[in-house]
Amino acid sequence: MTAAPLPEHGYGLPHDVSVDGFRVDELIHFTLAAITVIFVVVAASLIWSFVKHRSGPALYSHGTRGSIGLVVGAVALVLVGVDGNLFIHTLGDMHQYFWNFKSAEAAQGAVLIEVNAHQWSWDARYPGADGRFGTPDDVITTDDIRIPVGVPVVVQLASTDVIHSLYLPNLRVKQDAVPGTITRITFQAKIPGEYEIACAQHCGPNHYKMRAVLTVLAPDAFRNWLADAGEDARRAYDPEDKEAHWGWEWRRFEP
Amino acid sequence: MSTAAQALAEAAQPIHPPPTSFWRQYVFSIDHKVIAKQFLWAGLLFLLVGGTLAMLIRWQWAYPYRPVPVIGQLFLRENGGVIGPATYQQIFTTHGLIMIFFAVTPVLIGCFGNFLIPLMIGARDMAFPKLNMYSFWTFLLSQLLVLASFFTDLGSAGAGWTTYPPLSTNVGTPGPGQTLVVAAIFVTGVSSTMGAINYVTTVIRMRAPGMGYMRLPLTMWGLWLTAILNALFVPVLGSAALLLLLDRNFGTQFFVAGASAVRGGGDPILFQHLFWIFGHPEVYILILPAWGILGDVIPFFARKPHHWYKGTVWAMVIVTVLSAMVYGHHMFMTGMSPLLGEGFMLFTLLISAPSMVVVLNWALTLWRASIRFDTPMLFALATVFVFGVGGLTGLFLADISMDLYLHDTMFVVGHFHFTMAAASFIGAMTGVYFWFPKIFGRKLDERLGKAHFWFTFVGITLVFAGQLLAGYAGQQRRLFDPFQYTFIQGLRGLNRWTSFFAFALFAGQFIFVWNFFKTLFGKAVPAGENPWQVTTLEWTATGSPPPFHNFDRIPEVVRGPHEFSNPEVRRLTGRDFAGQSEVLPGSAGPALAAARG
Ligand SMILES: [Cu+2]
Ligand SMILES: [Cu+2]
Repeated sequence: MTAAPLPEHGYGLPHDVSVDGFRVDELIHFTLAAITVIFVVVAASLIWSFVKHRSGPALYSHGTRGSIGLVVGAVALVLVGVDGNLFIHTLGDMHQYFWNFKSAEAAQGAVLIEVNAHQWSWDARYPGADGRFGTPDDVITTDDIRIPVGVPVVVQLASTDVIHSLYLPNLRVKQDAVPGTITRITFQAKIPGEYEIACAQHCGPNHYKMRAVLTVLAPDAFRNWLADAGEDARRAYDPEDKEAHWGWEWRRFEP
Repeated sequence: MSTAAQALAEAAQPIHPPPTSFWRQYVFSIDHKVIAKQFLWAGLLFLLVGGTLAMLIRWQWAYPYRPVPVIGQLFLRENGGVIGPATYQQIFTTHGLIMIFFAVTPVLIGCFGNFLIPLMIGARDMAFPKLNMYSFWTFLLSQLLVLASFFTDLGSAGAGWTTYPPLSTNVGTPGPGQTLVVAAIFVTGVSSTMGAINYVTTVIRMRAPGMGYMRLPLTMWGLWLTAILNALFVPVLGSAALLLLLDRNFGTQFFVAGASAVRGGGDPILFQHLFWIFGHPEVYILILPAWGILGDVIPFFARKPHHWYKGTVWAMVIVTVLSAMVYGHHMFMTGMSPLLGEGFMLFTLLISAPSMVVVLNWALTLWRASIRFDTPMLFALATVFVFGVGGLTGLFLADISMDLYLHDTMFVVGHFHFTMAAASFIGAMTGVYFWFPKIFGRKLDERLGKAHFWFTFVGITLVFAGQLLAGYAGQQRRLFDPFQYTFIQGLRGLNRWTSFFAFALFAGQFIFVWNFFKTLFGKAVPAGENPWQVTTLEWTATGSPPPFHNFDRIPEVVRGPHEFSNPEVRRLTGRDFAGQSEVLPGSAGPALAAARG
């Protein structure tokens, strides 16, 4: 199957195909609105000063109790109303959704995938029918990650050479792959289709080619594909091919 | 007649005869004013190198795989003038490093720090004039190392300006080019540390009588706090660079880890901690001097005292303290512990408060002022604008949720270019136009200056806004060919237009080059002691340019730095300003005025 993600329209955020991406988008839109208001207010006062006060005697003042109060008040308002709001929302979102690996792993039908990043492609490993990683029926793909729609996906990420970063623009998530450690990322797609996987961290001359495709399938289609691929994998398994045995025992999330 | 305090200062800093030999006068000089000019030349030259590299990046994004005009024929001949992926990574890596360490740092800190600190605090030279000279020559060595790296096999450094291992070890970037550049970072760190110790000591020990901390011009506060940050955190960068050199050349594994391709028990993330403990303060190292310059230039040309001077001073101090506690926002995606991430997010959001105080104080300084729109003021106001945009867009990146999407995109690039590049560059230009008459005794041409201003202001805004837009749409940074990705293909026009604006911005800088040389070597009238009619010591207590010993008599400071439009001063002198050490007619002399505060 050739993968063909479609180009985006316009200059805005790429279209969101994830269950939780709207949480990011809402914060982005809130921040955009807030900074626009701040910018317009400050810019208007400056322009007023330029036009209105460009000549004529200047006021002799090092600041009055009132004008200093204005500064402190404005800063406090922004700190509580904008920064505070961002902080509270983000705490909730991280704990409940984006970094909540515990409940994602425990969810009914959750899909677990191991991804090994290296210059310059993404190898993915599925546990196959036995549900365990590092066994002969593991399904291994390159630059081609398939997931079912509507269930949480948890990926454990490793790298064998330099730091890479798994980035799914249409799902609003990314996570670095760091040599020597295993990192995690979780997401859930809500619209079937083909989307791009990008590397976000500079990883050498061909960093720009480290592209892969995420295919979001209907649950049945995903099950059929995985079963077929598992059969193929078992037949093609070569115990001598050490290079292909990079998988690891799944590490349950313990905070 | 001089006061007892002045006599003490005179005894501590006697006038030495100026050197007579050519070498001592112009080359191995220990005069802070000459060293400042040396830093200025070295910095401006590398600004041109770094800018040219930026043009190559923009060319690549506008016309990928097409031969670069002129420069391609000169430097990329073996490749038919076309930029390849390996060359491209060297271009963006060295662009970042050169601009930060070898262009903006020497102009903002090396030149202005050196020239202004003794003159603005009323001292005859730096505390350690010889150390000052060593600082410059060490810096020059680091610049030469960078230049040499381009001529090695495999070319210069390619691991990004952040130099993350394992990519920056032999695993990712073999060859002597990367080694030379890491060595250059270490050497320039040695230079910065020497300079920083000198600046910190000079401000503490050598302020003229009456120059209390709360009478320091804000430029001094900016440069002093920057020097403190440099002294504390550049050594951290130095140690990271040293360990990296050991990993590259002596087989250690501090930062090397991984499975099949690279074996090693080190920790790549350790480098990121060391790098950003320095790297985030570095943002403020570059912005604090610019804030300081604005803090003086805005009241100077608004003819009005700075609004809530103490508030700005404390805001700058708080920023300095917090700057080392926010660095983790660069590492949100490395898999750091959520609790640690949340702490860094909290501090990052908090650091916006003092920044807002600084900006609002500028706005209130301009309120009901009597503004003179000379070139330095135009640049100062443009700095307020670009810093405002940079600061506001930083709000997105302080937040972990939004970083899930925006981290490592062009949005980050646009944000830090608005703050670190635009604000520090336009801030530096504010200083160049403003102090040029003091440094060289001649005033830059105002009409050329204004033309340069409009090119720079409009150009920089459009270029970096283009970067923000591309990142908002998801485009990652550091892509040789962004259009490999389908979702970025719609951004071809945006990237190309951004490049056009960048070319115009670059071309506009030659107006400045022309103005600079025309003023320096052409016919010009002397600027006079105080052409801008302002208050600080370098303008009111000595000539343009100042003599070798700076002040014939060490001044005694009697008032703050921004005494403008005071009706009492106007009644006594007919002027709208009073110099920091000026004794007003009819008042009882400096001693009494000092006692009154
Ligand atoms: Cu990569
Ligand atoms: Cu930072």
